[in-house]
Amino acid sequence: MNKPIFQISPGFEEIMPPEYRDLVANGPYGKGFGVGDLGAYKELVEEHPLCAGCGLALSIRLALASLPNPEDTVVVGSTGCSSLVFPQVALHNIHSLFGNQNAVASGLKRALKLRFPDKEKDVVVIAGDGATADIGLDMVMQSWFRRERITTIMLDNEAYANTGGQESGMSRQGTVLNMAPTGKKFPKASIPEVAQAAGCAYVAATSPAHPKKLEKAVRRAVLIAREVGPTYIQLLSPCPTNYKFKPHETIPLIKQREKEGTFQNQEYISEEAQRFLDSLEEARKK
Amino acid sequence: MIEQKVVTPEYLFFEAERKKQLMTGSEAVREAIRKANVDMAISYPITPQSESMHLVGDIFAEGYVKEYFRGENEFAVMSSVAGAAMAGVRVFTATGGPGTMRAFEVFPTWAGARLPIVCAFMTRGVNSPLTIQPDTIEMAYLLETGMLMLHAETAQDLHDMILKAFIVAEKTDVHVPVGVFADGFFVTHTKETLEIPEPNIKLPSYNPYSSPVPPMDMENVPVRQMRDPFVMKSNFISYAAHASWQQEVDAAAERSRKYLETYLGGLLETENEDADVLLVTSGTAVCQSREAMAIARAQGLSVGLVKLKSIRPFPTEEIRALATRARAIIVPEFNRVGWLAKEIKSVIDEPRKVVGAPRVYGGMTMPPEIILDEIRRVTR
Amino acid sequence: MNGLKYKVVAGPEGFLPPAAASMGVELPEAGQALVEGCSVCASEGLQKIAEKLVGAENPVFFPGPLILWNWKDGVAEKAVALKELAEAVGAKIIPMPDYRPKYPMINPAIEVNPNHPNLTIWHNKIDVCVFIGVHCHYANVALKIIRGGTNCYTIALCGEAGHEDAMVSLRDAGLAELKKLTALVRKLKGEV
Repeated sequence: MNKPIFQISPGFEEIMPPEYRDLVANGPYGKGFGVGDLGAYKELVEEHPLCAGCGLALSIRLALASLPNPEDTVVVGSTGCSSLVFPQVALHNIHSLFGNQNAVASGLKRALKLRFPDKEKDVVVIAGDGATADIGLDMVMQSWFRRERITTIMLDNEAYANTGGQESGMSRQGTVLNMAPTGKKFPKASIPEVAQAAGCAYVAATSPAHPKKLEKAVRRAVLIAREVGPTYIQLLSPCPTNYKFKPHETIPLIKQREKEGTFQNQEYISEEAQRFLDSLEEARKK
Repeated sequence: MIEQKVVTPEYLFFEAERKKQLMTGSEAVREAIRKANVDMAISYPITPQSESMHLVGDIFAEGYVKEYFRGENEFAVMSSVAGAAMAGVRVFTATGGPGTMRAFEVFPTWAGARLPIVCAFMTRGVNSPLTIQPDTIEMAYLLETGMLMLHAETAQDLHDMILKAFIVAEKTDVHVPVGVFADGFFVTHTKETLEIPEPNIKLPSYNPYSSPVPPMDMENVPVRQMRDPFVMKSNFISYAAHASWQQEVDAAAERSRKYLETYLGGLLETENEDADVLLVTSGTAVCQSREAMAIARAQGLSVGLVKLKSIRPFPTEEIRALATRARAIIVPEFNRVGWLAKEIKSVIDEPRKVVGAPRVYGGMTMPPEIILDEIRRVTR
Repeated sequence: MNGLKYKVVAGPEGFLPPAAASMGVELPEAGQALVEGCSVCASEGLQKIAEKLVGAENPVFFPGPLILWNWKDGVAEKAVALKELAEAVGAKIIPMPDYRPKYPMINPAIEVNPNHPNLTIWHNKIDVCVFIGVHCHYANVALKIIRGGTNCYTIALCGEAGHEDAMVSLRDAGLAELKKLTALVRKLKGEV
């Protein structure tokens, strides 16, 4: 990528720590890489401090690898486990407060549009289930009502994990967690339905158990957000630490949930979004 | 929309010809923003602020502001404003009273993130019970958020302070938010004659690349940049980074003093400052105090007036010097808690000189007579 | 304040030293520089920096992102000039490529981080360091930590308004100042 922000100044190549030289030489900027290229290039995320087997870490890694134009993407996060990863991510990204991520993203996206009217600047929100479905739900929904041109990705680990495993709106009914000592009394919230009703042009639910599906969803969501309207993706990202399973069981657990019908991969594409995707496909064929 | 020429801040503030116009405080906000070269404004209704942001909406429709929308609540608005500022644009909003309280969590993050946001606060009482009436109690809560705080006495002040606030806020060595406070209704909804420059000039635009922190646009470095991370997680030993960061926010406010001195002509201004009794206050309590001073002086009493224009930074040294000479310092306030009297007591050598009265609140007016009562009490 | 002027000198000053700005130290006006909390003319500031660099046992430059990355016009020339200056001094360069709290840890031999610059200074036994191309906020955060915990003498070549928390600070420093410094250093070393 020739964009000057990814170039080391003359004479300083040798003194830069290796991970930066690697990022410049082998980073994904402007290369159109996808999850199929993982392992063959320098990823956006450096070492991260999340637990072994963390579903959320997997989701972040795959989501970042799926961004269509990382060189022009700004991420907005929120408080939670994911906010410990983002300092290590080689993209401009924002942590403001717990739950206000879609409000921050709204101001950010509109401001970037003002400053760079002729350039696509993708704004992608990546936040946990507590931030998205509980404390920040009003701002998430309001950004959809306003048809803000942003992509919202929920990393759904079905709990407040970073604060020690408390019940969230996305925990399943009956689950015993902190602050739900006798089990959760109401069902898991269905945010994909909310998203659809609130005006999202594209909605998907998937997981890191299906990297290609996840990649397709992220690409569609980001592209549709540019041209059509807000988009939403929900990624089931189980938490071995708080749900007390072994780190290597994360992906099998998702597959088991699919089999027993307690998690379904879903995709909704509005008519306008579908027309836009068709036009992209047509342009690609030409 | 008329064509506007970019002029230097100094020209706009001090040299441009000013014309007289009768208008409300809310209209003064509109006229300030019209010339402020604002990129984005975000609104949310609350009495007595709403009208000012309607009027900013009107000039957005005319083209003076490039982007404008109504947010969903004050916490969200202040968050959206933060997002816009991080993207590198000049942004404005306004709120007041319960709106301030609703948004509160965001304010210290503005300063910590070094965002040069300008927010007007049209002060009002906070519940319960419900009130929409003027009261400056919200300023007490905002004192330690790291934002600079300017307090307007009049609509003229409000107009001038908003324009100057952008320029001070955006100085590289300052780069923290500025709250411009005006007493709700007393300033926002009454008319006065302002002297203001014509709308055919405007301030220069904001340069985000002179910011002390990188804007989030993927057009500047470093690329691996989070605004703003848990610094204490680095190497697990960097608690000092957070402390140093907080000190830097305080330092930014210190650095604003010289700019405020240049642009506001001082953090405070005085009338008859050698008098035995000084009335020291801010906002509309200043006009009431000026009335009281005139009556008292006509009766032969030695009374002076100190109008505080900047509450943060606080004119500490100036007040210390004034307090040495005065026999008594009377601090009239439009709130229950007397935050300004406490501030003054905390910086002078003889806090017992301070009379924290009169205080009115909940929308009550402050007749000059109740200030005179205090003057008579201390001069008896 | 007790009326005594606060001096910005090498530490270790204490557990949590104050921001110099909060102790009454003001940034220099245009054409001026700061030396240990006092405003002097810019040429005097340059001379002081050259002397400190030449007299140091282990001077190190800490270039920040604004000069390490060739992100806009004019940076490459400054980068080249900085290398020349460092070579003239005989100083090492240790980069601050970004400001992130780095996980799991930094390697203090090859990098410096604004959240704990003291680690790099201790590890490399640096007695004079020079900040350049670091965004002002992060430079100030780091400069205070250095003054608090180390005996390192700090110099800031700032392209903006300068730094009270450095022992010597230029403002509006650009290519010309780097070249002047290189010439001054060579002169002091008797190379010209």
